[in-house]
Amino acid sequence: MSRGVAVAVLAVTLAACGGQGSGGGPGDGKTLTFWMYQDRTPQAGQVMEKVRKDFEKANPGVTVKLVKIPKDDYNTKLGGAVAGKSAPDAGILDQPLVSKYALDGTIKEVPAGLIDESAYYKGALDTNRAGGKLYGLPADQTTVALFYNKKLVPAPPKSWDELKQVAAQVHQANAEVAGMNVPKGDGYGAWMFPGVVHGAGGQMVDDAGKKVLFDQPQAVEALQLWVDLLKSSPRKITDSDKPFENGLAAMTISGPWDVPTIREQFPDLDFGVAPLPYKSEPAGNIGGEDSVVFSTSKNADLAWKWLAFLTSAENNGAVADAFGGFPAHLKAQVVAGGPEQAAFLEQLKVAHARPAVPQWIQVNDEIIAPALESALTGKATAQQALTDAAAKTRSLLGWNG
Amino acid sequence: MGWLLVTPALVYFVVFLLYPALSALYYSFTDWNLRTDAAWVGLANYADLMFDDVKFPHFWKSVRVTLQYTLIAVPLTMAAALAQALLVNAIRRGQNLFRLLLFLPVVTAEAAVGAIWRWLYDPQYGLINSVLGLVGIPGQNWLNTPELVIPALAFISAWQCGISMIIYLAGLKGIPTTINEAAVIDGAGPWQRFWRVTVPMLRPTTFYLLVTGVIAALQVFGLVYVIFSGNGRSVTGGPEQSGLSYVLHLYLFAFRYDAMGAACAMSFILLVFIMIVTAVQFRFVKQEAA
Repeated sequence: MSRGVAVAVLAVTLAACGGQGSGGGPGDGKTLTFWMYQDRTPQAGQVMEKVRKDFEKANPGVTVKLVKIPKDDYNTKLGGAVAGKSAPDAGILDQPLVSKYALDGTIKEVPAGLIDESAYYKGALDTNRAGGKLYGLPADQTTVALFYNKKLVPAPPKSWDELKQVAAQVHQANAEVAGMNVPKGDGYGAWMFPGVVHGAGGQMVDDAGKKVLFDQPQAVEALQLWVDLLKSSPRKITDSDKPFENGLAAMTISGPWDVPTIREQFPDLDFGVAPLPYKSEPAGNIGGEDSVVFSTSKNADLAWKWLAFLTSAENNGAVADAFGGFPAHLKAQVVAGGPEQAAFLEQLKVAHARPAVPQWIQVNDEIIAPALESALTGKATAQQALTDAAAKTRSLLGWNG
Repeated sequence: MGWLLVTPALVYFVVFLLYPALSALYYSFTDWNLRTDAAWVGLANYADLMFDDVKFPHFWKSVRVTLQYTLIAVPLTMAAALAQALLVNAIRRGQNLFRLLLFLPVVTAEAAVGAIWRWLYDPQYGLINSVLGLVGIPGQNWLNTPELVIPALAFISAWQCGISMIIYLAGLKGIPTTINEAAVIDGAGPWQRFWRVTVPMLRPTTFYLLVTGVIAALQVFGLVYVIFSGNGRSVTGGPEQSGLSYVLHLYLFAFRYDAMGAACAMSFILLVFIMIVTAVQFRFVKQEAA
């Protein structure tokens, strides 16, 4: 038995060493460890390699170590490293996680004067805020916009009324074709919903993060818009595989990741991308990655310098493209060109960050998504569904308002 | 010397099974988000899961979904497996070929299974609706109608019954031919022989498949995950959570909502439930061939 114990102890020790090796490493003050997702493409790897070398050249004696982790395992590995006090100096962090890490005190606040805040897209920068403080720099960003089939929709609708009108016309002209692929009441639909609410001048929660506002008239109207659109967009048509790509839905809401896929798989589809139609003010939602410095870092100053370098006007264009999104710095050169990209960028200028509530993902999936679905399936009115969801959210978060 | 020989197995058991399981038991009594130190909360996770529908609005829904799935999928899978085994056993030529073809769904990658069945169930182009249309049954929106989601998932699991089919086939081969011959001499027809000879003789096999089938069905995860996670979308368990299986719910709390303590508690509730269900089956279901 004693031998078994000895081997077990050895195995555990080895595992512990392995964990540390991939993390911080010895603090000689000049090695910076940065965690990021695995490269999407070989070119993306080259871009990061060039940026890394440029930074090392500009800061003699500094070595930057890029640790690349498959996206699916990233959050779990990072959580484990933070728990094991072997977190890297800095790393990429999915937007909704920033407020969670900030609440734990496992990431540092951005030092005053590091960056000029007005040089960044406001929505993207806001995804780094929690409790009114800035905890990171936006690395890249993405959003959704309106895709429209040019054969069925000659000019993209700009307002909600036009949207409903165009959808009705399409379905009237051909009952086999849906006006629009209306988002569903699932986690993904709930992520897109705030963009529509802001389009009516509403908010999901107030700026201070203390009050639920998605039971207010603006949000109810936004949900009612989706409900109304279903009349000209039966689910039986849009629940089919790739309804927009197959020409069965004249419009859909999707992101830049779909543009190359559609071009490749459906070369004959003549489509355009336009900013989301709105009621009172142009608005959209936002996704993407932020970059943060972990509290355990011994080289915090250097780490912030590296993050500022990644998100600078010179580098952010290439870096964001490598990460698969758009630059978050207003002056950065956008790599992916084309008219579709212009629509997304216009949308990003008016994009709103998710509420900086640590449990937001849970609220999004477990409360808002089912509420949207119950309105969309006609089991409740938009007002009932959202009133109910808002009450549940208040109880979960312990808010009064 | 004896200890030396079992050491590798023992080390594997302790390091990879016993230690994680005991850690999970400990964490089920804590509030833990994977990043900061776990805080002891006693039985709060267990109590909240069962009684707090603000924190866990869909816990009981996931229990219902899983029980419904088990009740439909297990009998359906066993019936499909027995039917296939009888067919394969009855033919004289090409047994190996058919056995292979019927086993293929088991070795197909889960992601491919998800893609294939999303297409088969497609409300516009799906093969299943086309076939139903031939006999005059109107097409259904299978994976997007809450009431149809569980039967649709159970049907896929019945399609993947290859392993049960092989085990039934082995059971059939194990029935002495003399018994059937005696039954024929006594004047028993095929139907009587099936019910009076084959089914009772297969009882040990059926019992084994029932117990393992129920355990597997209560833990269904991969199938639901691949069916409802197309296009990189977040998985919230299908339309109106109709496909939110217990383990999918557990997974979401563990890895998406950062509530590892509650997720560990869920896994122990499931463990205890499975132990009870299995004990009940051992107590009340006939296991001996007769």
